[in-house]
Amino acid sequence: MSYAYLFKYIIIGDTGVGKSCLLLQFTDKRFQPVHDLTIGVEFGARMITIDGKQIKLQIWDTAGQESFRSITRSYYRGAAGALLVYDITRRDTFNHLTTWLEDARQHSNSNMVIMLIGNKSDLEARREVKKEEGEAFAREHGLIFMETSAKTAANVEEAFINTAKEIYQKIQDGVFDINNEANGIKIGPQHSPASQSLNVGGSGGNQGGNCC
Amino acid sequence: MDYFRKVLGAPQDVQTNSGADTVERLCERVSSSTLLDDRRDAVRALKALSKKFRLEVGTQAMDILLNVLEHDRTDAEIIGYALDTFYHIMSNEPTDEDDVSNVSGHDLGGQFTEIFIKHAENVSLLLSFLEEYDFHVRWPTVKLLTVLLTNRQKELQEIILVVPMGVSRLMDLLSDSREIIRNDALLLLNQLTKGHANIQKIVAFENAFERIIDIIRDEGATDGGIVVEDCLLLLQNLLRNNASNQNFFKEGSYIQKLKPFFQIHDEPHSKQIGWSAQKVTNMHLLLQLVRTLVSPNNPQNQTVACQKVMNQCGLLQDLCSILMASGVPADVLTETINTVSEVIRGSQMNQEYFASVLAPSTPPRPAIVVLLMSMVNEKQPFVLRCAVLYCFQSFLYKNEVGQSQIIQTLLPTAADANSITAGQLLCGGLFSADPLSNWFASVALLHAIVENPTQKEQLLRVQLATSLGSPPVSLLQQCCNMLSQGGKLQTRIGLLMILCGWLSDCPIAVSHFLNNTANVPYLISQVSSSEGDEHEAIVQGLCAFLLGICMLYNDDTSEAFSKTALKQIMQNRIGLESFTDKLSQVAQNESYTRAAKKPHLYHKHPSEIVFDYEFTRLFKSLENEVLKAVSGSGSNMNGRKSGPSTEQYKNLLKEQEDQVLLLRQRIEELQSHAISADKSIVELQRQVQQLKDQNALLKAQKGSLSPASSISSDEVDSLKREVESLRLQLHNSHIFSNTVSDENKENDPDGASVLNVTIARLQSELAHKDEEVLSLRSELDRVNEVLKQKTSEQTAASSSVSNAEVELKLQQTEEKLKLITDERNHLQERLTKSNEENLKLANTIRKLEDEKVDAVNEKENLKEEMDTLKKEQDDLLVLLADQDVKIDKYKTKLKELGQEVEDDDDDDDELGEDNEEDLDAD
Ligand SMILES: Nc1nc2c(ncn2[C@@H]2O[C@H](COP(=O)(O)OP(=O)(O)OP(=O)(O)O)[C@@H](O)[C@H]2O)c(=O)[nH]1
Ligand SMILES: [Mg+2]
Repeated sequence: MSYAYLFKYIIIGDTGVGKSCLLLQFTDKRFQPVHDLTIGVEFGARMITIDGKQIKLQIWDTAGQESFRSITRSYYRGAAGALLVYDITRRDTFNHLTTWLEDARQHSNSNMVIMLIGNKSDLEARREVKKEEGEAFAREHGLIFMETSAKTAANVEEAFINTAKEIYQKIQDGVFDINNEANGIKIGPQHSPASQSLNVGGSGGNQGGNCC
Repeated sequence: MDYFRKVLGAPQDVQTNSGADTVERLCERVSSSTLLDDRRDAVRALKALSKKFRLEVGTQAMDILLNVLEHDRTDAEIIGYALDTFYHIMSNEPTDEDDVSNVSGHDLGGQFTEIFIKHAENVSLLLSFLEEYDFHVRWPTVKLLTVLLTNRQKELQEIILVVPMGVSRLMDLLSDSREIIRNDALLLLNQLTKGHANIQKIVAFENAFERIIDIIRDEGATDGGIVVEDCLLLLQNLLRNNASNQNFFKEGSYIQKLKPFFQIHDEPHSKQIGWSAQKVTNMHLLLQLVRTLVSPNNPQNQTVACQKVMNQCGLLQDLCSILMASGVPADVLTETINTVSEVIRGSQMNQEYFASVLAPSTPPRPAIVVLLMSMVNEKQPFVLRCAVLYCFQSFLYKNEVGQSQIIQTLLPTAADANSITAGQLLCGGLFSADPLSNWFASVALLHAIVENPTQKEQLLRVQLATSLGSPPVSLLQQCCNMLSQGGKLQTRIGLLMILCGWLSDCPIAVSHFLNNTANVPYLISQVSSSEGDEHEAIVQGLCAFLLGICMLYNDDTSEAFSKTALKQIMQNRIGLESFTDKLSQVAQNESYTRAAKKPHLYHKHPSEIVFDYEFTRLFKSLENEVLKAVSGSGSNMNGRKSGPSTEQYKNLLKEQEDQVLLLRQRIEELQSHAISADKSIVELQRQVQQLKDQNALLKAQKGSLSPASSISSDEVDSLKREVESLRLQLHNSHIFSNTVSDENKENDPDGASVLNVTIARLQSELAHKDEEVLSLRSELDRVNEVLKQKTSEQTAASSSVSNAEVELKLQQTEEKLKLITDERNHLQERLTKSNEENLKLANTIRKLEDEKVDAVNEKENLKEEMDTLKKEQDDLLVLLADQDVKIDKYKTKLKELGQEVEDDDDDDDELGEDNEEDLDAD
C-alpha cells in the first residue's frame, strides 16, 4: 500500500492510436479489441518498483478527439510524465506529433518527461511509419522512444517503467522540486523530504542497510 | 455613504433624484473622463448606487464597467469597485438596501448574467484577474464568478472549461492563505463542479481531495464549522456518480485519511452538551460520503475494493463504535446504520467482522441482536427500524454462513433459555400485534433463507409451542394460519413474501405446505375473489404467485395437490386469464417499482412499506416460469401419442404463422406512427425554442426600455414561465413517446383475439387427433394380436414366408407411427409456444394502444397551448409597437414643447426638467 513516490502521468495522442488500450494492458493486463472512444479523461493506477522502491503511478488517459482538447489540456500542468502515442499503421497520427508536442510543451511544466510511443507494432504488415522515423523524431525533440503493442503487451511495461525511471533519475539529480505537488510528484507518507535528501546525498548511511 | 457624499455633494437631493438619471451621469463621467482619479470616484459612486438602483446600473453601466476592467487593470482599486458593482447587479440575494421595485423584478441577476457571458472573453477576463494577488481584486472576482455560476451554471461551466487553465486557476484559490478567499473559493468550487463530470475530474486531478481533506482536518473535522460542511459538500460533488474520481479517491488512499474523522470522543462532558446542529450536519455528510463510495449501485468491483479498504484501515470498526456509543443523536445513528449496511453488504470479510461486534451491555450481546431488538420495537423511530432491517439484510446478502447462524438460533437444539437470540426476536416480531413488526420480521427471515435451499429445509424443522396443552405447530403452518386470519395489509404481504421465498426452489417445503389441506383452498379463494382496492389486488397477486410456486416446485408427493391436480383446480376455479391478470398486477404496482429500484429502504412513512427489494427480484425471476407452468396445456405431460392428420396441423400452424406475420406488420406501422409523432414533437419543441428566443430578445429590448413598461415586463415573464412549462411538458411527452415506440415491438389486440380463437380450434382439433391416435393404437394392438395368432399358426404350419412378410409390414407401420409421433410432438411444442407468445402480445398491444391514444391527446393539447402562446406573443408585439408609437408621440410632443430630446431609447418620458437642472447645478 505504502509507496516512496507517486508520479502522475498523462497519455496523449490522436484518437484511435491505442492510448486506452495501453493503459488497460498496463493496469489490468487485458486487451480491448473494440475502440471504446474515451470521453474526456479516464483514470487508472498501478504500483511499480524501481531500484527496490515502490512507486505509485497515477495515470490519466485522455481523449484524442479534437473536441475534447480543451478538457485534456487541463491535465498537462501537474503531470510528471507524458506518453505521447502515435499509430505506426497511420502516418497522419505521426504527422500530428509536432502539434501535440507544442501543445504539451506550452501547457506543461518544463521538466515533464515525455515518452514517444509508436503503438500497434504487432501490425507489421500494415506499417506506414518506420521505426527509424520515430527514433529520429524523438532524438530531434529530446524524447525517449519505444515501439509497443497494446495487443501483445510487447514493451508496454517497459514504456511506463522507463518513463518512471527517467523521472526518478531527474529527482536524484535534483532537477525536480519534489515539494511542489504541481510537478506531479509526491513523496510517500513514510518518506519525509528530510530522510529523502539524506538518501540522495550519501548511499553509505543507514538507509543503504535497509535496501533489499 | 461616504464616497457618495464626496462625489455628489448633497445626499438628500440625490436620494430623491431619479436613480437612472444619476447613474447615467456617472456613466458619462466614467467613459469620458481622462483622469484615473476621476474615473475611480465615479465607479465608486456607481458601486454605491448599484444595490439600490440595480436595474439602472445594470442596463447602463455594464459596457462601461467592462471597459474599465479591460483598460484600468493596473489600478486595483478601480477594478475592485467595478467588480463589486457587477456583483451587486448580478446577485439576486435580497439586501437591506433593496428597493421594493427591485425585489419584484425576478431573476434580474440571471438576465444580466446572460448578457455578461454572451461574450466568453468577459469570463476569461475575470479568470485572468485571479492571477492578481491583491485582495481588492481577487476577492470580488471570486464572489462575482460564484454568483455568475449560481445564476447560469451550465453555460458558465462550459465557458470556464474551455478557458485555458480555467479550472486549474480556480483550484489554486484553495491554497490562498487568506481564509476568507479560501472559504469563498470552496463555495465557488461547489457551484463549479455540480453535475459536471469533466470538471469534477479536472478538479480532482488538481489535488482537490488532498487539499479539502487537509482543510477539514485543520478546521477540526466534524467539530468544525460551516467550512467543514462546505468541504464535505464539495467532496460529495466530486465523487457522486463519478466512477473515475471514486477510483482515484480509493487509489490515492484518501479513504484512510477520512478515517480519523469518524473517531467521536465519548466523553461524559459532551454527552451533557449534546451534539451541535453543525456537528450533526457534518457527520451526516461524512457518512453520506462513505455511502457514495460503497453504494450498491456502483460498479461491483469498485464497491468491493472500497469495502476492503474500509475494513483494513479500521473505518468500519469506527463506524461500529458509533453504533454502540451513547449520546449519538437518533438521525446520526440511523445514517450510521445505513452506512454500516453498505460497507458490509456482500463483503464476506466485513460481514464476519460485523457479526463479531458486541454491544457494551451486561451481559454483552451481539450488536446484531441489539439492533434487531429495536427493529421489532414499536417505540423506536420508523426510519431507524428501516435502517436496522437494511443492515440485517446487508449482513445476510450473499452470506451463507450468516444465514445459517441466524437460522440456527431458531432450531430447538440450539435454544439457550438464558439469552435472547436473533431467532427469538424474529419470531416475536413475526407474531406480534404490530403489523410493521410482522413485516420487518418476515422480510428479515426471508433474507435468512433467500437463495439458500439448505436453510429453507432447516427452517421447516422449527416448531412453535402455541398454548399449554396443545401440540406444537410448525413455523410454516403458523405463518399460514396467521395469513388466513386476515390481519393488516403489511402483515399479510410480509407473510406472503416469506412463504413465496420459502417454497420457491424447495419441493419439500411445498410438500409441507400442501399437506395441510386448508392452504390451497384459502389461496384459491383469495385469487378468485373479485373485490379489489389496489392493496387487495397486491395480496391476490401474491396468492396467485404462491400457488404458481406450489405448481412449479411440486414433486407430486401430495396426492390431493399433485402438479396435474393443482393445474386442474386452478384452471377450473380461477381460469387462466384471471390468474394471469392477478399475477401481472403485482409488478404493475407503483410500490413494487419503487422497491425494485435499490436495496436501501428509503421510506419516509410506515404506510409506504409494501414490497422488499429482494422479493421483487425473486418475483421477476419466477413470474414467467409460473405463467408457463400454469398455462402449459394438460396433455403435454401425459404420454406421447400421434395421429394421422399431421397435414392439418401443419396447415393450421401455417395459418397461425401468417397471422403472426400480419401482426408484426401492424406493429411496424404503429412504430412508424410513433416515430412521426416523435418528429412532430421535436418540431413543436423547436418552435417553442424559437418563441423563447424571441421572447428573450423582446425582454432584452424591454429591459432597455426601462421602468415605464413594467406591465409588459410581467407579461413577458409569465410568457416565459409558460414557455418553460410547455417545454417541460414537451420533454415529458417526448420521453413518453420514446417509451411508446419502445413498446411497439409487440402486437395488436384484434389479431390476437383471432389468434386465440384459432388456438382454441387448434386445441380441439388436437384433442380430436388424440382420439384418432388412440384408435390407431387399438388398431395396431389388434394387428399385433392377429400377427401373434398368425405367427403361432405359421409356426405350426412351418410357412415362414408369409411370416416374414407380415413382420416387415409391422415394422413399417411401427416406423411410420414413430415418425408421426415425433412430428406431432414437435408441432404441439410449437403450438404451445405460439400460444404463450400470443397471450403476451395481446396484452402488450392493449397497453400500447391506450398509450398511443394518450400520446395523441397530449400532442393535441400541446398544439393548442402553442397556439395560445403564439397569440399572446403577437399581442405582446403589438403592445410593444404601441409603446414605441407612444414614445415617439411623446418625443414629438416634447420637441413641440421646446424640450430637447435625445434619440436614446433609454431616455424616459417621466424624467422632468427639474432633474436635469439639478444635475447641471451639481
Ligand atoms: N492490433 C492492435 N490494435 C490495437 C493496439 N492498440 C489499440 N488497438 C486498437 O485500436 C483501437 C483504438 O484503441 P483505443 O485504445 O481505444 O484508442 P484511444 O487512443 O484510446 O482513442 P481515443 O480514446 O479516442 O483517444 C481499438 O480498436 C484497439 O483494439 C495494438 O497494439 N495492436
Ligand atoms: Mg481512449
